[in-house]
Amino acid sequence: MSRYARITDNIDWGLITTALAIVFIGLLCLYSSSRGTSMTIFYKQLMWIAIGVLVMIVVFVVDYRVLLRSAWPLYILMIFGLVLVLIVGREISGARRWISLGPMGIQPSELAKIIMIIWLAYWGEQKKHIQGYGIRELVLPTIFILIPVGFILVEPDLGTAGIVALISCTLMLLLGIKRSTFVGLLVLFISAMPFIWFSLKEYQRMRILTFLDPSRDPLGSGYHAMQSKIAVGSGGLLGKGFLEGTQTQLRFLPEHHTDFIFSVVAEEWGFAGSALLLLLYVGLVTKITQIGFKAKDRFGTMICFGVAAYFTLHIFINIAMAVGIFPVVGVPLPFISYGGSFMLINWICIGLVLNIAWRRFMF
Amino acid sequence: MNWNMNNTNNIPGPHIDDDLKWKAKIFIAFVFVLFTILLLRLMNMQVFKGSYYESLARNNRIRIVSIPAQRGKILDRNMEVLADNRPAYNLIAIPEDISDVSFIAHRLAGILGSDEEDMIERIREAKKRPYNPVALARDISFHQMASIETQLYTLPGVSIDATSERDYVLKELGAHVLGFLGEISRKQLEGLKTGSPYAPGDPIGKTGVESICEETLRGTKGVRIFEVDATGRKTKILDEKPPVPGEDVVLTIDKRLQLTACRSMAGRAGSVVAMDPRTGNILAMVSSPSFDPHVFLRPMTPEVWKGIIEDPMHPLENRPIRGQYSPGSVFKVIIAALALRNNFITPQDTVYCPGAYSLGDSTFKCWRRGGHGNMDLVSALAQSCDVYFYVLGERLGIDRISSFCTDLGLGRPTGVEFKDELSGLVPTKEWKYKRFGEQWQKGESVITAIGQGFTLVTPMQMAKVMSSVVNGGNVLTPRILASTEISRERTLNIREADLAVIREGLKAVVESEKGTARAVRDPEFAMGGKTGTVQVVSGYTSSLPDQSDLPYKIRDHAWFFGFSPVENPEIVVVVIIEHGGSGSSIAAPVARDVIKEYYAGKGPGDEQVCQDNR
Repeated sequence: MSRYARITDNIDWGLITTALAIVFIGLLCLYSSSRGTSMTIFYKQLMWIAIGVLVMIVVFVVDYRVLLRSAWPLYILMIFGLVLVLIVGREISGARRWISLGPMGIQPSELAKIIMIIWLAYWGEQKKHIQGYGIRELVLPTIFILIPVGFILVEPDLGTAGIVALISCTLMLLLGIKRSTFVGLLVLFISAMPFIWFSLKEYQRMRILTFLDPSRDPLGSGYHAMQSKIAVGSGGLLGKGFLEGTQTQLRFLPEHHTDFIFSVVAEEWGFAGSALLLLLYVGLVTKITQIGFKAKDRFGTMICFGVAAYFTLHIFINIAMAVGIFPVVGVPLPFISYGGSFMLINWICIGLVLNIAWRRFMF
Repeated sequence: MNWNMNNTNNIPGPHIDDDLKWKAKIFIAFVFVLFTILLLRLMNMQVFKGSYYESLARNNRIRIVSIPAQRGKILDRNMEVLADNRPAYNLIAIPEDISDVSFIAHRLAGILGSDEEDMIERIREAKKRPYNPVALARDISFHQMASIETQLYTLPGVSIDATSERDYVLKELGAHVLGFLGEISRKQLEGLKTGSPYAPGDPIGKTGVESICEETLRGTKGVRIFEVDATGRKTKILDEKPPVPGEDVVLTIDKRLQLTACRSMAGRAGSVVAMDPRTGNILAMVSSPSFDPHVFLRPMTPEVWKGIIEDPMHPLENRPIRGQYSPGSVFKVIIAALALRNNFITPQDTVYCPGAYSLGDSTFKCWRRGGHGNMDLVSALAQSCDVYFYVLGERLGIDRISSFCTDLGLGRPTGVEFKDELSGLVPTKEWKYKRFGEQWQKGESVITAIGQGFTLVTPMQMAKVMSSVVNGGNVLTPRILASTEISRERTLNIREADLAVIREGLKAVVESEKGTARAVRDPEFAMGGKTGTVQVVSGYTSSLPDQSDLPYKIRDHAWFFGFSPVENPEIVVVVIIEHGGSGSSIAAPVARDVIKEYYAGKGPGDEQVCQDNR
């Protein structure tokens, strides 16, 4: 009896409640934007939420320290998936991002996000340096980061590759880098910018250019950004109301199930709704970092911060894109955007954090 | 039961070193900064600029499209259609919806029989404005339309748009009368006041009846306000004002006479004007050579335009109202009428024609070398004796002649509805002094009397004048629109007996043994008329009636004016054939054909139509 009480009482219900509240908002938006076309998207999303919650429970139950032993197998599995998708992946508008599994599809690049968090946390656990890492210690992890990032770029999926790279960088910085090495790398990165620019695909460059000047081509590549901004801005203080968003309902808004779903929130629920959603997200991320502070070991702390970075980056880039202060890249909004793999990873992240929070009481 | 809560604090402290703690705090601060940026941005867009975006959203989904009005038809006097509207099909593409450009281009090029590369290029170009519907092909055939229509489900992004296209059923045979439609020019658009019904790309009547009756034919455009989704698909019609079709316009033209006149003129340059002398109705109006008015409906290639504009025969020129010619011997009718009215001669007075007439140092030859002998008015008209009219010209003098010409309506536009008529020329002493700085010579009055001087007339003026001579002296304004009121400008105050003598003389031109146009005599009906031959360049003679042994440009112009019946005439036909040779053999048969057709088609109800038009 008392043992049961302990298990349930130490579960961080606040975290779960926050995530479920966000999921609920997401379902409202998905319902609104699928109306009139096909409701299958809405039901599929419901199914993925159910699967996600089940997977979260599984992840919660198994002691996260098992991951210390399975970090390398997971890494190899990830590389296998990323190679496989390039070979047998379904090609959708010029990119191979999906592996078909019967009626469903999974995105190995989504899995790469969480596996890289685990792998880097594991790696930090193995190689501790009080003064921080120098160049020599950074070579190997950099290579192991660049391998999956490279494969994702080949798909191509600039957004996901960027997210994986940024999460990795954040974790490396938290693990500690020598001050001189940090400054040197920063200089190197800035001077490499022009080369990165020219290695981009034409449409990717166009997106960045039209981001800098959206009126360049209002019907071409600036169209998405423009329509999204109109949707967000026209929401006003209190929004147009549920199912009343003209931009959404009349399909001016592109990708309104996935990358631009925030515009649906903003249009139909206004500043009040979008601010509430932001608050929920802030609550979610703060909760995760608090758990990170209290984790029993460095491995758990690092996973928590990795997950916090993961959520923060997705939320910021996605919303910044919708409000026109970031170029249009394919980055979904956690717990809201339609997508099975992504929803699954979000719940796995929550499961891991709950796991870490719960096990700080275990010896 | 609360012990577990209290125990929380007793758990061994969080496993986190100071260095990581410091960096983690920076991380958290960074997260807050990012969220603050988003919040401020949202506040700016939604709270402060909300109404601005609200208006953008409204404009986004509302489209205002004008619905073109069906243009009125142009009908002939018997309600036969001359200018119609036919359905036309355009091939429309929404570039955004075409994903496989080369496949679609391949299919469409196959159906339309056009160039595949060109089609790919057009779609690629259109992709720059992916949501703007674009016409890939205009006015495709019914067969092509049907072929595409049945395959539409395999051609995503492609659709057929049904419109209406002007159809001139007479093709080139009515081009000058009906005129043609064309896209409104930028110049015309700029000249319009605000609130004008025209938008860039709209058709407007450029010439002819299409231009004169533009406002009647045009109708009023409708407006449709509807909500669209991002692909431009209509979702809901918010408001609609249907277009008001243009009204039909009824002409005085008789399609059959028009066609007959055109056929008779085939291969020749010149004009035919057929007029009802009782009403001023223009029954036929032909300018030859002509052009296909359909080529003006669309922007044409520079080669086509160059071909039309550089044609030495000037097919665009509307000769019946813009061709100015010396009247030739047809003018003798006017001199005869004037001399009788002013009692300079009686019908019985004779003049002896020795073949030439001397005045001072000059000798004026008659066209018949050996002379005509004694001529009275009837025989002088019938045989077109020049000497008889030289004498009259000298006696009358230029002042009387020009004053009478002005009374008849020469020297100014006839007043027919067309806007670009030319005036011709009635020479006077003042005019000559102004123009050449010289005094008028008596000899010039003499040659004016046979229509060879400075005088210039248009075929339309000729039809008006000749009508007034044969209808009892009423000068009527010619009219081409049935809706125009009949307008009698003046009466000539010539005694009916004198006019009867002139008609007798004109009848003798065709019906008498020595008449100059006896070759066109027709057993089925009596007709009168007058031939005319205008020297273009003097000094050349030819043995052939059509002068085909001379270079084209120096051949004479051939005139003929005919009317029928002789008493109470119903039709006057004026024909001029440029460089046609002699009027009797070349121009007269054209007039005869038209009159013959007039009788052939004259049903019992025709008189009624004329009454209605009155």
